Amino acid sequence: MILLEAGLRNVRSFDAQLIFAEQLRARGFDACIGAEYFPEDAGRGRTYEAAKLLVDKEDLAPKTVFVLGAEEIGDPLLASLREKQLEADVPVIATGRFTDNQSYVGAKARLAYALGREAKVIDLTDTQPRSMMPTAICPLVAEVKPVARPTVEIPRLTIVLGSMELDNPETLPCLSRMSFQGEYSLKIVVNGLQNDEIKSSSFRDLPTVLYTDLSPLTLARETDILAVFGQGMAGERMAALAVELMAAGGVVIDGTEDEALLSSGAPALLGPKTPFSLDGYLTGKVLGNIAHISDQVSRSPWLRTIDITRLETAADLKPGNLRAARKTRTTLFVPTNGVGLGHAQRCTVIANEMPARTTPVFAAFPSCVPLVRRRGFDCIPLVARTDEKDTPNANDLLTYRRLSSALQPGDRLVFDGGFVFDSIYRVILERRLSAAWIRRGLWPGGRPSQGMLDREGVFDRVIVPSEAFQELNDAYSYGDHVRYVGPIVRQVVLSPEDRDHLRDRLAERFGNEFRQLVVSMLGGGVASDRTAQLQAISGNLAERPDCLHLIVTWPGSTIQPSFFGWRNTRVVQTFEATALCLAADLVISAAGYNSVHEILYHGIPAIFIPQSAPYLDDQERRATALSDRGLCATITDTELMKLERTLRDCLDGDELEHFRAALAEIELPETGTMAAARILAEDWKKR
Amino acid sequence: MFGDSRHVAPVLRQVLNALRIPLIWDAPEISADLVIFHNPAFLKFQNALDARILARSLVVVTHENFLRPGGDEGFDVSACLGQIDASTLALRKFIAPISPYNRSTVNNWLSGHRLARHWIVLEDDWFNICNTEIRTTRASPQDRRGRHSRPGFEKFPSPEELDDCFPEHALANVILGADALLDAEVIRPHWKMLPFDAVSVEEFFDMIDFFVYFTTPTWRESFGRVIAEALAAGKVVLTDTDTGQTFGDAVITCRPPDVDDIISDLIAHPRRYVEQVAKAKPILERYSAQSFRKKLTGFLATEIAEAQ
Repeated sequence: MILLEAGLRNVRSFDAQLIFAEQLRARGFDACIGAEYFPEDAGRGRTYEAAKLLVDKEDLAPKTVFVLGAEEIGDPLLASLREKQLEADVPVIATGRFTDNQSYVGAKARLAYALGREAKVIDLTDTQPRSMMPTAICPLVAEVKPVARPTVEIPRLTIVLGSMELDNPETLPCLSRMSFQGEYSLKIVVNGLQNDEIKSSSFRDLPTVLYTDLSPLTLARETDILAVFGQGMAGERMAALAVELMAAGGVVIDGTEDEALLSSGAPALLGPKTPFSLDGYLTGKVLGNIAHISDQVSRSPWLRTIDITRLETAADLKPGNLRAARKTRTTLFVPTNGVGLGHAQRCTVIANEMPARTTPVFAAFPSCVPLVRRRGFDCIPLVARTDEKDTPNANDLLTYRRLSSALQPGDRLVFDGGFVFDSIYRVILERRLSAAWIRRGLWPGGRPSQGMLDREGVFDRVIVPSEAFQELNDAYSYGDHVRYVGPIVRQVVLSPEDRDHLRDRLAERFGNEFRQLVVSMLGGGVASDRTAQLQAISGNLAERPDCLHLIVTWPGSTIQPSFFGWRNTRVVQTFEATALCLAADLVISAAGYNSVHEILYHGIPAIFIPQSAPYLDDQERRATALSDRGLCATITDTELMKLERTLRDCLDGDELEHFRAALAEIELPETGTMAAARILAEDWKKR
Repeated sequence: MFGDSRHVAPVLRQVLNALRIPLIWDAPEISADLVIFHNPAFLKFQNALDARILARSLVVVTHENFLRPGGDEGFDVSACLGQIDASTLALRKFIAPISPYNRSTVNNWLSGHRLARHWIVLEDDWFNICNTEIRTTRASPQDRRGRHSRPGFEKFPSPEELDDCFPEHALANVILGADALLDAEVIRPHWKMLPFDAVSVEEFFDMIDFFVYFTTPTWRESFGRVIAEALAAGKVVLTDTDTGQTFGDAVITCRPPDVDDIISDLIAHPRRYVEQVAKAKPILERYSAQSFRKKLTGFLATEIAEAQ
C-alpha cells in the first residue's frame, strides 16, 4: 500500500492526491489516501473519485508513504506522520517544486523532525524546470506510451474553456456549430459557472463536462485533440489531462493567452487564442495531419520530463500488480429497479437467451436479487437508495465501488434503466468496458431530457425494446449504435390441462371453489397508490361467491392490511405472476412495459389502470393504444365508477369474449429477445 | 527574528539605555572595527542582506547548527553566509560557534564547502550566558518528571520515546509546550500537558524534580538554554549525548528507555541526587557573564594587537 499524503489539507491538494493515486493505480500500485484528507467541500465528482481510494485511519498499513506538495508543509501532516510511528523500513518520499534551496532544506528538515528520520525529498524542478503550472502540487507525470497512437475515424475534441468568460454572444453559437461538425466529436470542459450559463441558455444541449466529472486519466482516454483556452492552465486537473494526452501521443492545442503549454517546452501546437477560429484551424491544419503530429509529439524530448517511470525510479517504487486479470470476459447486467422488477425481469429474459459461451451475471438492487437468482443467475447485491439527505447518492457510491471491483477492462456492462447513474457512467469509462444500454421508450413528456441522453455516448450499443404498436415507438437518438428489437417478453407456456390444474390448486389452497378467477396486479403502491381501486375491486368481487380474486405483488412489496379483510380476496406474493395471469379469466393490471406485453402476447383479457410518476414511462399512452384497438379496457385512476361498470361488463357480459377474440386476431411484431441477446453476444467495434 | 514583529531582549535594552546608545533598525551601512553578526540563519527567508558591512573583523555567531544529525543541512548555510559575504568588506571573517556540538556541525559543514574556506572558526565558543545561581534542591526527590520547550516538532521525540520518558507510574509528568500534542488530541491521562507559556518557568520547575529532555533524533539543540535553566533550578537533567556535550557531567546522558531506571536509582539514593545537582555549579560558571567577558576581552586584545 502506497499512502499518499499532502503538505496541506485543502481541495487543491486533495485533487493532486486523487490524480496521482489514480495514475499509480493504473501502473499497478496499490495507492490510497487517508480518509482524513477528504474535504468537506469535495463535491460530487471528487467524491466518486475518492470512493475507491480512501482508507480509514485504522486500516492503513502503508509500505511506502508519498508526500505531495512538500514545498508547503502544515502541522496536520507532521502530526499525522508522527502519530503513524512508521517502521524504519517504510520509506517516505516527498515531492515538491522548491523555489530555492532553503525551501528544499526546510521541507526536508520538517519532515525529518516529524519522522525522526530522513525522508527522500524529490525536487520536481530538477526534472521539470519550466512546468506548465509552476504551482502544481501534483507531480504532473504520465506513462509515456511507447507505441504509436492508433488512428481514429472521428477524432474526439475536448475544449477546455479555462478562465474564458462567456460574455461574448458569439461564443456559444460558435461552440454549438462545432458540436454539429461531422469531422470530430466535441466535449467542452467547463467550470460550474460556465456550465450554469450554458445550461440556462438556448445552447443547453452543448456537451459539457465539469472539471471534476471525470479524472484526468479517464478524460485523456476519451480525448484525441485537446484545445485549451483562457489565462494559464485551468488548474491541475487540466494540466494533468494535457500531460496524459501528450504522453499518449495525443494532440494538444495551446490557445492560452500566455501560451502556458508551449512555454514549458511541451510538444503542443500554437493554436488560436479564442474558439472562434478553432474550427478552421482544426479542419485546415490538424485533422488531416493527426498521425504526423502524433508522431512528432511522441518523439519530443520533453516527454522525458514527465515520464512517470523516472519518478518511480527516483522514489524506488517497484512496479506492482494489483491483481491478475481474469481471462474470461464477464457480461454484467445492471437493471435499475428501485420499485418494481421490470428492468430486472427484462434483463433475465435476455440473459436467458445468451449463448452458452457467455455466463451473464447480475448486479441488482435488493428488491430484484431474489428474482435474478431464481432465474439462475449470480447476482451482486447493490444497495437501495435511501432518503439520507446529506449524501443522497451514497448508495450509488457503493454501486460504483462494487461495480469497479467486479469488472475489468474488456468486460461488458449491460445497463437497463432510465437515468444513467454516475456509477454506471464512470465505471464504463474508467474500466474501459464495452457497454450496452437497454432503453425502452415511452418516456414521460414524449422525449427524455437532454440530461438523460447526455451519457448515451459512453454506450457502444443502445438496444431499444420496441412497443408492440408502432405509434408508441419514439426515436430519441440516432446512429449505427442504436438497435431496435421487437418487444422483449417473457413467454410462459401453460397447457389447458396445466391451467385447469393450477385453478384447482388455487381453489384448494384458498378453500374457495370458484368459477371466475380475477388477478389484480396494480403494484406495491410506491409509484402510485392504488388502495382505492383495489378496495373497489375487492368490494365488488366480494358480492360474487363464485369468484376468486387474487391481489398479486412481487415478494417484498408492502401490503395494506385492509386487503386481507375481503371474503374472496387473497394476497399472493410471487415471481410467477404470468402463470397466474394465464390461469385467470380477467387480469386488472398497471400498464408497465412487461405487464402489458406479457398480457398482450399471451392473449389475456385485461383491464389496465395506468400508473403515473415522474420516473415512470407513459403507461396511459401504452394502455390506450391497446384499448383503442379493442384489446382491453383502460381505466384512469379517478374512474372508479367506470371500473365497477367495466368489471361487471367483463364478468357478467361478453366483454371478455370480445377481448379474447380481438387478441387472437391482432398481428403482433416478432419478439426481440433473441435479437437483443444476439447483439449482446457480438463483438463490437468500440465507438 | 522572522516576520514583522520586533522585540529587543530586555537585557540588551537595559545595556543600550545605560550606555545611551541608540538602537538603529535596518541600518543600510554598518561600519566598525568589529562587527558581530548574530545568527546567520535569519537570512534564510530572504535573498539579500540589505546592508553593507565595513569592518576590520566580522564575527558571525552561529546560534543554529549548520548540520542536523546525519549530515543534512539545518538551513541553507551557503545562501546565508553568501549573503553576508556579498555585503561585507572585512579583513577577516570569523565564525563563532556557541557550543561544542554546534562547533562540530560548523566544522563538518565547512569541510565540505571549499568556497567557504576563508571563514575562520574561533577557538572559543561564544556561548549563551547563563544564570549561575542554583536554587536549593530537594533533599528527597520524588518521581516528578517534566520537560519544557517550544512546541515545534523538532523539540519532541517519537510518541514511543515520550511514553518511555513519562510513564504512567510516575507521580507527575508535566509537559510544558505541549501545543502540538494537544492539537493532535494525544490522550495520556497521566500527563499534564500545558501549552507553551501556560505557566511561568519557575512554576514549572516547582512541579518537577527530574528534567527529562529528548528531542527528535534528526535535530539537536545548538546550546540547550532550557537545560541550563533546569540545572540552575536545581533539577537533575537527563538528555541525549549530543545535547549533553555542552554540559559535561552536570547532566546525565542516556536513551529514553534508560530514563526509568536512572530516576528510580536516584530516588532510592537521594544523596546521589543531591551530588548530581551539585555538579551543575562549575558548568554554569563556565557559561557565566564573567566567563564570557574574559573570553571577549581576550579576543578583542588579539584583534587590537593584529590591527597595530
